[in-house]
Amino acid sequence: MPAAFRLPALIATVVVASVPLALDATSAPPPATQRTLEDYRHFRIAAIDLLGRAPTRDELGAFERSDFDMDRWVESHLGGPGYVERLTRIYMDVLRLEPNLLFMNPSWQLYRHDVLGPDGKPVTIYYRENQRRERPDIDGEFCLTPDETGVVIRARQQDFAAKVDPKGKPGKPVVVLGHPVDDATPKKVAQKLLDERTVLVRPWWLYRDYKTRSPAQRYGQDEWKEPDPQYKPVETLLEDAEHHPVLEVRICREEASSGDAGHIYASGRIKAPPKGERLPGGRLRPPPLDRPYATQHQGQEVACDTRSGLDYAMDCGCGVGLERCIPGDNNNGGNAFYYPNHMPLGPGLPLDDARQSSQRWFPYWWSREAVRMLDDLFASDRDFREILTGKRTFVNGPLAQFYRSIQQSNCCGPEASFGMLQESEPLFEPKRVPEDLEPQDVSTWKVVEDRGPHAAGILTTPMFLEKYASARARGAAIYNDFLCKSFIADVQSLEPSKEPNLMVRPGCKTCHATLEPLAAYFARVEPSSFVFLPGAQFPVHSTTCKLDKNGKLNGNCNALYDPAFADAKGATLRSAYGAPEHADATPAGGARDITSSPDFGACAVQRVTSSFLGREITPDDGPLLVSLTDVFVRSGYRMKALVRVLMKSDEYRRSNNVASTTWRSGR
Amino acid sequence: MTLQLRALALVVLSVATPACAARPLEHVFPGPKAALPAMGVIAEDTAPKQDLRMVPPEVYMRTYMQLFGGLVPLDAQKRARGGDGGALFDTWDDYVSALGFPDYRLDVPRQTQTNALMAATFERLGVALCDRALEHDLKPPKGAEAPPLKDRLIFAFDLPAGDLDAHAFAPRFDVLHRTFLGYPAALAPAERGVRFFQLYQDIVAGHAKAAPKSRFSPREAGWAAVCYGLVRHPEFHLY
Repeated sequence: MPAAFRLPALIATVVVASVPLALDATSAPPPATQRTLEDYRHFRIAAIDLLGRAPTRDELGAFERSDFDMDRWVESHLGGPGYVERLTRIYMDVLRLEPNLLFMNPSWQLYRHDVLGPDGKPVTIYYRENQRRERPDIDGEFCLTPDETGVVIRARQQDFAAKVDPKGKPGKPVVVLGHPVDDATPKKVAQKLLDERTVLVRPWWLYRDYKTRSPAQRYGQDEWKEPDPQYKPVETLLEDAEHHPVLEVRICREEASSGDAGHIYASGRIKAPPKGERLPGGRLRPPPLDRPYATQHQGQEVACDTRSGLDYAMDCGCGVGLERCIPGDNNNGGNAFYYPNHMPLGPGLPLDDARQSSQRWFPYWWSREAVRMLDDLFASDRDFREILTGKRTFVNGPLAQFYRSIQQSNCCGPEASFGMLQESEPLFEPKRVPEDLEPQDVSTWKVVEDRGPHAAGILTTPMFLEKYASARARGAAIYNDFLCKSFIADVQSLEPSKEPNLMVRPGCKTCHATLEPLAAYFARVEPSSFVFLPGAQFPVHSTTCKLDKNGKLNGNCNALYDPAFADAKGATLRSAYGAPEHADATPAGGARDITSSPDFGACAVQRVTSSFLGREITPDDGPLLVSLTDVFVRSGYRMKALVRVLMKSDEYRRSNNVASTTWRSGR
Repeated sequence: MTLQLRALALVVLSVATPACAARPLEHVFPGPKAALPAMGVIAEDTAPKQDLRMVPPEVYMRTYMQLFGGLVPLDAQKRARGGDGGALFDTWDDYVSALGFPDYRLDVPRQTQTNALMAATFERLGVALCDRALEHDLKPPKGAEAPPLKDRLIFAFDLPAGDLDAHAFAPRFDVLHRTFLGYPAALAPAERGVRFFQLYQDIVAGHAKAAPKSRFSPREAGWAAVCYGLVRHPEFHLY
């Protein structure tokens, strides 16, 4: 062994010699104190847990000073960004609040297509799928007919040549699904026709001042030279095919309507055209027929930001500057904005920057909203029960746009026949959205103290409700995540049964006796959606919806009421049968019940303790958990109090304090 | 031949079928008819076991970027990739799942145990960090001087002229040891310093006769190897 490595004589040599060499330590040599390996390890794990990284040489230098106070150091970092990220990570790992879905609705999705202009150059036209129009040849379709453009333009499909099939009936267009016909010959569209059917608009995604009469502040130009750095429309929205800047967009006339309200339109068409008859304008599908509701309520006012506005009104469009719509750069939705695919360290530290589909735009922000809620909970050391009961949230520009208008587009389909054409009691009331947030303000977040009477922490956010799409999934999530309980069947056999009540059906009841009442809390929030079904219009037990003589519920009743729990006198709201009183309690009542359970606090303590100790909890941790739960509950469910005591505990110091000699001796 | 086989199969089938039909119905019970007899009783050891845990990938990344001079991920990526076509580093996106990050979108949980792919990724990232840091700290471009010690990323020490003996190696090794493992080398197992010095010497000697020549001088290659050893050390990844 070389003489230089004879220990322990080298200890002093190394410690003293290393300080001046590591020049990032303080300039004046601090009085050093002898620290043990265990001290260093404790400091390292504390840094990892509270700073989110290993300590630097500077921080080690400070730690080695005689005046270093570990308790004070811990205290100074409780509530810091590393601590907040650490705790948020625990609950994001549990809840996994990021969607693997696309959120698309014809009410707000703008598609676009290039037609041949009068000079033979392409002209890009934006449009909505299913837009109602007065002319039967374009009602519910693109605003120029196949006869006029030479192609059949349909959203979410390829373009098809509209030509006569030599083997088919005259005038029947050739359709090759998924593949455009090679010899399609688009026709030039006259300027007069273009001007008649379309208009030019300066939209919100290009102009900061899109609400003014003459918008002038264009993205990236002098008037709006420094847009929000995280607001980045894709190039195809900013430039045309020849790389000229887009100054305004051409859009079908109806879509450009700026009113907030429209009127129910009835075309008078109540019968489908005979099969084989050539459809007007060469369109492929017949013009939409009047629904009974439209016939009965013709002329009635309808809100334009609702699904009903798209379905029933031809004077409903995308609003001022198209602010109720999101652009896509092709006929399949396409791309809209740049944002990261991966940002495990938060949006400020993205790992990439990718062109993203317009249909991922809102799910992306829902997820950020959930993280913001958790961050705030831990940074402000709020009562942890607010994760389920809180009314507070945060919104930025896109979320403000979403909650103001886009969220309404989920409503109303089957609800319309119950008289609900517009959500009457949304989970997030649009009037509570801060007024001074524009859709382009992606980095500006504002607090909303109260989303509305039905708000219940994370449970009523679009992210939770879309991630856990069914009432049962939502009930199971709160049971697992916030009570730390699982569903485990006690029998292994499932016997055939026609019993619809899973709480009594053999083989199912063990789990469902607990799950169904939990699911009932979510009976008033539509599955795969976040539309709230108010009790006034949707009683738990409806006498309007009942089985007909064939033992069936009619179509709209069937969508919202459960035929398995219906008879000739009435029907029960879907998912409510397990506990009708829970359905009326709504998610907010569920949140109150769950947080009142002694298991709620114990579960939170268990999750945080397990994460900080870095291992599963064992029965021997019982006394520690009991004492920590006591601290947590007595503190008013404050995480800082819990973490403070936990980090001082012997269990924390010891949990990861394996002497290096025991695992990699000599290396 | 085929016909003969078919005939044989028919014969076998005709013999076997009545035998099967004659067999009584088999009942499968959901559990044992009676409890198994106890053979002995032992106490269950439920005491928490000391165990190692993996540094969360978020912590690994933050530490990595800190070591790269407090860069944001995309800048660290740019620096690690370099401009020499060395293919030391691809993109963070390529490493996200290998580092053990969860993917909430696909409900892929966080990895809490290392695996071979993860270890290989640690190695690749570590080598990129050490090489680029060495280029930054000790290998200035022609005509330029090495940055002052305070601006060095990892190799925050000077290199004396001539050969490095164990005495000169030790304090410099301590700087790297504290940087990566968070405590003085003097508190590490005694053999560690010896082994790393031996590694340094071997690499220096090996590079002195390397052909073709490495882009690092023998001494630079020696320090790079020490850096590789520490950045890949289990204590850097586990805590």
